[in-house]
Amino acid sequence: MIAPRTRMEATTSAASTLGRSAWRKVPILAASFRQCWSEVAWSNLLNKIRLTRSRRAGGLFRKYATLLVALVGGSLIINATIEMYYSYGENRHALIAVQREKAQGAAAVIEQFVKEIEGQVGWATGFLPAGSGLEQRRFDFLRLLRQAPAITEVSYIDSDGREQIRVSRLAMDTLASGADMSQEPKFVEAKAKKRYLSPVYFRKESEPYLTLSITGAGRSAGVTVAEVNLKFIWDVISRMQVGKAGSAYVVDERGLLIAHPDIGMVLRKTDLNQLPHVALALKKLRDASLDVPAISRDHAGHEVLTAYASIGSLNWLVFVDLPLIEALQPIYDSLRRTIIVLALGLAFAVLAGIWLARRMAVPVRALAEGAARIGGGDLDHRIEVQSRDEVGTLADSFNEMGGRLKESYATLEQKVTDRTYELSQALDQLRALIEVSQAINSTLELRAVLAAILAHACRLANAGGGAIYTFDDVTEEFSLAATHGMSTELIEAIREAHPRLSDNGPIGQSTLTRSVIQIADLATEPAYPLRQALLRADVRALLAVPLLREERIIGAFMVRRRQPGSFDQAVIELMQSFASQSALAIQNARLFQEIEEKSRQLEVASQHKSQFLANMSHELRTPLNAVLGYAELMQDGLYGELAPETKEVLVRIQGNGNHLLGLINDVLDLSKIEAGQLTLSIDDYSVANVVQTVVSATESLAAAKKLPLIVNVSDDLPIGQGDERRIAQVLLNLVGNAIKFTDVGEVRITVTAPNGVFAVAVADTGPGIPDAERGQIFQEFHQVDSSNTKKKGGTGLGLAIAKRIVELHGGHLWVESELGKGSTFHLELPIRAEQRGAVA
Amino acid sequence: MTKRILVVEDQEDNRIILRRLLSNAGYDLIEAVNGEDGVALALSTRPDLILMDIQLPVMDGYEATRRIKSNAELKSIPVIAVTSYALSGDEAKARAAGCDAYVAKPFSPRQLLAKVREYLPTEG
Repeated sequence: MIAPRTRMEATTSAASTLGRSAWRKVPILAASFRQCWSEVAWSNLLNKIRLTRSRRAGGLFRKYATLLVALVGGSLIINATIEMYYSYGENRHALIAVQREKAQGAAAVIEQFVKEIEGQVGWATGFLPAGSGLEQRRFDFLRLLRQAPAITEVSYIDSDGREQIRVSRLAMDTLASGADMSQEPKFVEAKAKKRYLSPVYFRKESEPYLTLSITGAGRSAGVTVAEVNLKFIWDVISRMQVGKAGSAYVVDERGLLIAHPDIGMVLRKTDLNQLPHVALALKKLRDASLDVPAISRDHAGHEVLTAYASIGSLNWLVFVDLPLIEALQPIYDSLRRTIIVLALGLAFAVLAGIWLARRMAVPVRALAEGAARIGGGDLDHRIEVQSRDEVGTLADSFNEMGGRLKESYATLEQKVTDRTYELSQALDQLRALIEVSQAINSTLELRAVLAAILAHACRLANAGGGAIYTFDDVTEEFSLAATHGMSTELIEAIREAHPRLSDNGPIGQSTLTRSVIQIADLATEPAYPLRQALLRADVRALLAVPLLREERIIGAFMVRRRQPGSFDQAVIELMQSFASQSALAIQNARLFQEIEEKSRQLEVASQHKSQFLANMSHELRTPLNAVLGYAELMQDGLYGELAPETKEVLVRIQGNGNHLLGLINDVLDLSKIEAGQLTLSIDDYSVANVVQTVVSATESLAAAKKLPLIVNVSDDLPIGQGDERRIAQVLLNLVGNAIKFTDVGEVRITVTAPNGVFAVAVADTGPGIPDAERGQIFQEFHQVDSSNTKKKGGTGLGLAIAKRIVELHGGHLWVESELGKGSTFHLELPIRAEQRGAVA
Repeated sequence: MTKRILVVEDQEDNRIILRRLLSNAGYDLIEAVNGEDGVALALSTRPDLILMDIQLPVMDGYEATRRIKSNAELKSIPVIAVTSYALSGDEAKARAAGCDAYVAKPFSPRQLLAKVREYLPTEG
């Protein structure tokens, strides 16, 4: 028995090389260990440690723990596996060696025993010559029996196969019985091979025996036959201690059991050929290449560790079997210890892993959480990591960073607050200035504008009150134009005081020096006329800004505070802005007053002019009317028959009179148009009728010059809306001109109504209008060729008036002309015209 | 029967011209120099036509026309307004006052006669 090696040894992979039943415990242990691992280690420990708050930190912890446990546990398991594997192999090897030694020992003893018997028998055989006397042989045999207790009977068979003598312990000696043994194997075999060993047989069904036959020397030598009691072998075998339950036994070459501690088995002539190892070992005697397994089963079917040794001369085999369970017991014990140690080691690894992981993960988690909180804006947060390693350093860095961030945040916030305040102030000021500008632009009420300016200024200057003064150039006195936050008492005091330019007060000084004057504390200021009144009104500080316009004094601007103290530069600049706005407003108001006055005067003048023109034209026309009337009556013979020369003169009077009337009418029209007083009498009219009227008025003229007057008027012209008389006037002017300036050819009037307008064209075949003149013909008092005026007559006002009348209708009048070929005047009028704004 | 025309006109020259023109044309003429007289004469003489100047002393032509036209017995008498060319809107005003026709000053005696004959055709 080998003492089990006390090492950490465990394996599951080696289990396959071991007997299954033997290793059945290993997976059970492993399973229970796994269970322990999963349930206890993970669930309980993790829950106890409560690292589940942060998933990331938990992940890190699990990673660390798993890694550590895997490292430690893995190395433990690999170590144990290797140890177990080799330990098992070595153990088994040692056990087998021990058993083989035992078997060999036993084999040697048995062989020795048999050899001794053989030697003794041989000696007894060879000692006597063949013809020796029976007595001598008997004597020798008796001595042999005495010397070799194992030999129970010895006999001698002569070379003929006749038994000569038999000496037995159990029976009477037989001498010269002559029994024929010649056919007995013990004789035949011995004669052939000099030596013969019979199979084991039993006497009295209880003791194993074998027959040993040895042939003596010489050709006529007989055969000595000894019956050998094999009880000695049994003793040897029985005495052999093979573990607790192990046993040794001997089989002969046929596989029959020769010796076994259980004599019964021997007696039953148990054939052990059925056992694989025995059968193989027997075959190996003839074929050395075979392998005999070290593990097999005994006759009872139990697994055994087996070893054997052959007894060379006898072809017997000594087997030493040890039940595998017993043989492997130390290995089991060792394995169990190993597993326990492994389990403990793993448990320790888990605990150590968790502890280590925690040591590692907790600071990292604290770091992560702390960083997250700092990142989230909690700059007061400090990460609590005590370790003096890189994590601790990192935590310190984070804390430092948090502190710095907080510092910079604090200053940043302050800066932002400051800037925001400044911005909002600037915005406020801007808004106030914009409002003031708007007030200036939107209302001409100077008092309201100044009041608004003052209110904004006081608010922005943080002043309780203020005033705007206007300056009178003549009296050199200032008077209140607007006040803000002032008591009636103070206002009254100022009105009575009449601040003057020559005063030594701030108003006078600031305007005189054209500069801003501020009094930080009125109480310490030298006396001036209004000082006491202001002090009574609780004024302590004031700021006076001159109101100037191109260096001319317009007034003064003042804000007052109840607290002493100087005004900021920013406030002063702002007040200067308000002051210039006030100056602008005052000047605007003055200018506006002037403009209003002028405009009123102009209006009156214009009215006078219009009235004058109206009266004038009436006054001029009334006598002219009489002249023309009388002339016509005379022409018509109402004052008697006249001489032809007189009639001729009357025609000339009428012609000149009409020309004069036209001039008067044109001048009147133009002046009314220019005064914006020409209003249209909008009414429904028919263009065709207008054309007809004009044609009626001008056809005699055309006929006089033998000019065809061609009229093309569309049939489907709509009823128009406009001032029929004025439109007729325009058309009359155009047709009249055409006839007037055309000597040969024709005058053609075309009227259509495309696209919602009346399009009237008056075309002539006259001399045409040069390009340079074309833009000017619609101007007043203009004719293409001044020589023409005399020749053709006309005021030169007609086209100008016509154009304006057309434009009053919202229409257009233009000319297309080619020198030498004629001109076409185009008149476009909206079908439904409305009065447009006065055309100046 | 000779048609009777009331001429309301403050200008003597115009009255002379009209008198000569219309008498020669075969009409009886009654003359007034202002609106008030005109209305009174219209009431007393019941003319067949009234030629009404607009710019009249005492009472202008518009008012005189309104009075005539508001009188049930007179309103059937046609009133031809003789207005100044210079003052635009006169025609509209004249029509608003109840004038039946409109002749612009300075009028041509022939044109005026033509207009009168529209209302009072002379036989022969």
